[in-house]
Amino acid sequence: MKRLWQVREFSTLMILVLEVAFFTWYLWPTSGGHPFFNVGNSLLILKYSSIYGIAAIGAALVIITGGIDLAPGAVIGLTSVVTGYFFVQADWSLAASAMMGLLVGLSAGIASSWLVVGMKLPPFIATLGVMGIWRGVGYVITEARFYDLSAKLPRNWTVGGVSIDWVPPLVMVTLAGMFQVLMKRFQWGRAVFAVGGNETAALFSGVRVGLIKSSAYITAGVLASISGVVLAVVQGQGKADLANGYELDIIASAVVGGTSLTGGRGSVAGAVLGALIFGVLRNALPQIPGATFYDRVIVGLAVIVIVVMDQVMVRRA
Amino acid sequence: MADGLIFRDVAKSFGAVQALRGVSFAVTPGEAHACVGENGAGKSTLLKILAGIIRPDRGDVSWAGAPLHCDNPREALERGIGMVYQEMLAFRNLSVSANIFAGREIATRWGRLDEKAMRARTIDLLAQLHVPVTADTPMEHLSTANAQLVQVARALVCHCQVLVLDEPTTSLTDAEVDHLFRVIATLRATGVTVLFVSHRLPEVYRLCDRITVLRDGGFVGTFARATTSSDDIVRAMVGREPPTRVPRANTSAIASLPHCPTASIPDGPIRPALSVVGLTRRPMFKDISFDVASGEIVGMFGLVGSGRTEILETMFGLATADEGRVSVDGRRVQARSARDAAQAGLALVPEERQRQGLCFNLSLQHNLVLPLAAKQGARVIDRAAESAAANAQAHALAIKAPSLQVTPDALSGGNQQKVVAGKWLATSPRVLLLDEPTKGVDVGAKFEIHRLIRQQADAGMACLMVSSDLPEVLALADRVLIMREGHLRGELRGDEATEEAVMRLATHDVASVADGGHV
Repeated sequence: MKRLWQVREFSTLMILVLEVAFFTWYLWPTSGGHPFFNVGNSLLILKYSSIYGIAAIGAALVIITGGIDLAPGAVIGLTSVVTGYFFVQADWSLAASAMMGLLVGLSAGIASSWLVVGMKLPPFIATLGVMGIWRGVGYVITEARFYDLSAKLPRNWTVGGVSIDWVPPLVMVTLAGMFQVLMKRFQWGRAVFAVGGNETAALFSGVRVGLIKSSAYITAGVLASISGVVLAVVQGQGKADLANGYELDIIASAVVGGTSLTGGRGSVAGAVLGALIFGVLRNALPQIPGATFYDRVIVGLAVIVIVVMDQVMVRRA
Repeated sequence: MADGLIFRDVAKSFGAVQALRGVSFAVTPGEAHACVGENGAGKSTLLKILAGIIRPDRGDVSWAGAPLHCDNPREALERGIGMVYQEMLAFRNLSVSANIFAGREIATRWGRLDEKAMRARTIDLLAQLHVPVTADTPMEHLSTANAQLVQVARALVCHCQVLVLDEPTTSLTDAEVDHLFRVIATLRATGVTVLFVSHRLPEVYRLCDRITVLRDGGFVGTFARATTSSDDIVRAMVGREPPTRVPRANTSAIASLPHCPTASIPDGPIRPALSVVGLTRRPMFKDISFDVASGEIVGMFGLVGSGRTEILETMFGLATADEGRVSVDGRRVQARSARDAAQAGLALVPEERQRQGLCFNLSLQHNLVLPLAAKQGARVIDRAAESAAANAQAHALAIKAPSLQVTPDALSGGNQQKVVAGKWLATSPRVLLLDEPTKGVDVGAKFEIHRLIRQQADAGMACLMVSSDLPEVLALADRVLIMREGHLRGELRGDEATEEAVMRLATHDVASVADGGHV
């Protein structure tokens, strides 16, 4: 049995803890309640991080197979539009509208996997194309309008006795747990690692390489769609330009969580922790006076610093 | 003495592994010096230090009286040490000329590349080395032999005084080896010192004046060719008596299998374990038919490019046949993937273990159970069963590893090869296909792998082994099938299978065997 600190995700978790400790100390109030370290703010961080985190699970999967998926931002945007269209325009129930939203990611995943596995396009090019098309369809549908879901959503809404605010983080944690088990205890996960480590050897070993790669892209698409539904509900909007540029934050979350861009190494739990690390940054930086205009710079620096720190910690272990 | 290439107390460790433990020896100027040793003996590390790719922990290397600093690959080149590496360090997408001059381009005063001068020099060199390619041919279109000669050309451009060759003949045919050796002989005549690293003792004996033996990172001794037998060298390499050959099947193995009717009556009515009829895949091979009985080892010999590997891959579902039929135990196999083939009872130990055999991000245990899981179509991993299966193979094959949780890069070549064999034996196949099973493994591991194949055959498995190592084929196989240019040219059994008879069938005409000059 591995010791706790030998587990790969431990160093990512430590970075998150250090980060939270730092901001708690830095933002310590002279009087009154803590502006950062409180239940309401934590919930806010969790809620927004889960949009990135859920999609980052899929990004980690694809990257572990040795591929890359640039489409999740576009998928999230179009999902919000489609969900909004059915919920607001067609007056469907939210659950049925969300189902239609998930079809966006499913279709994007099928398209990517067909291009990568069937047409043998490089994943970067294939998913760049899918990203453009799926983003564009959002504009075609909305024609520069947006769907206002917030008006139709119930106030003080609870699902099974839990406030709606808790649903996105719970979904993220559940999915992360589920995929962590799939990756570690199921043959499918083993095959994902084998394909990313040495595709030829995997093929020679009887692994169904095409099927494994396809399943990764399709899963990533569906997970991005779930992020899209969450975003539509959290923002109360279905809008074509939502989640613009998210793909890079999502990939960064996976990488910060220990996933290697060369394939064969990584974890979905790490990707979710990576998303939380960025979520905390995005939440805390605007609270520091004068830091507002620097936040993108700091997030960029953080990617580099965290990956370097992580490498150092892994080497020590 | 002081002006040769001198290694003094060179030591290097990687983590806990001591790759070199203070090696000292000297190569005198103008000689051809061999450095031999089993895999893991430290030869590659020594060469990397010489080339300036890694720094030694201790000790130094000097050439022509001045020390090499060993921290910069450029320095070694500038001091006249040219390397020809085992694995092709080529820019496959660039032309031959660009490869020869990579990093040392001829440029005008303003930094513009002087393509004309480089092409002219390349054409000169290619003519000098008799390489039948043009200066503009992309590197990826070159055969292994020609790519190797391009590396020699690259060394010559740097006016090398020492030519270091690391296992240069691993994937060359005999004729290509002859050509390479002629080139080396010509260079030696001009005063170039040669350091030759190889597993193949006949070649070492053919080329080199003195032989330095390394074992487990330590220096064993430097021997003069004239006064040392190759058995002595083998003994020095392995540190024990040279292993005897696995008993030849037609003398003892079949005799030891009286209960096995297929072995004694191969043409009888008993269904063969593997039957191939009219297998064709154009343009690689045509109309290949043969049987392999249970308990039999059939060798398939042919020169590189004769279509042997392609036959195995087609049988194994990695490529589609145009025509023909493959049956296992009388049941037709229509494998469209390695998984189908595994389920039909086939197993393939592929030629390139690094590229085709192992996942270097997975532990040995996970590597060992990968085909088994793929064959069974397992869903959930049963960790106890997985661990038991992996341990059983590691034990049966005597895989030397610190634990099964390490990744394959911690293992020597021979042990890596055992892992590749083990992962397929774990599927309990009916038919074992082996492609160059002992390529690049040392003498001791080679013997163990031979014994392993014989054991599997004795247990009733049908084995088909492709190999370019003719002594290996002759020693191990009950029957030899000979391939040439995509056709099966003949079959020799037992005593008919002599080196001459096999080579006669494998090469174009009888005359070329005679003057092909495998010494």
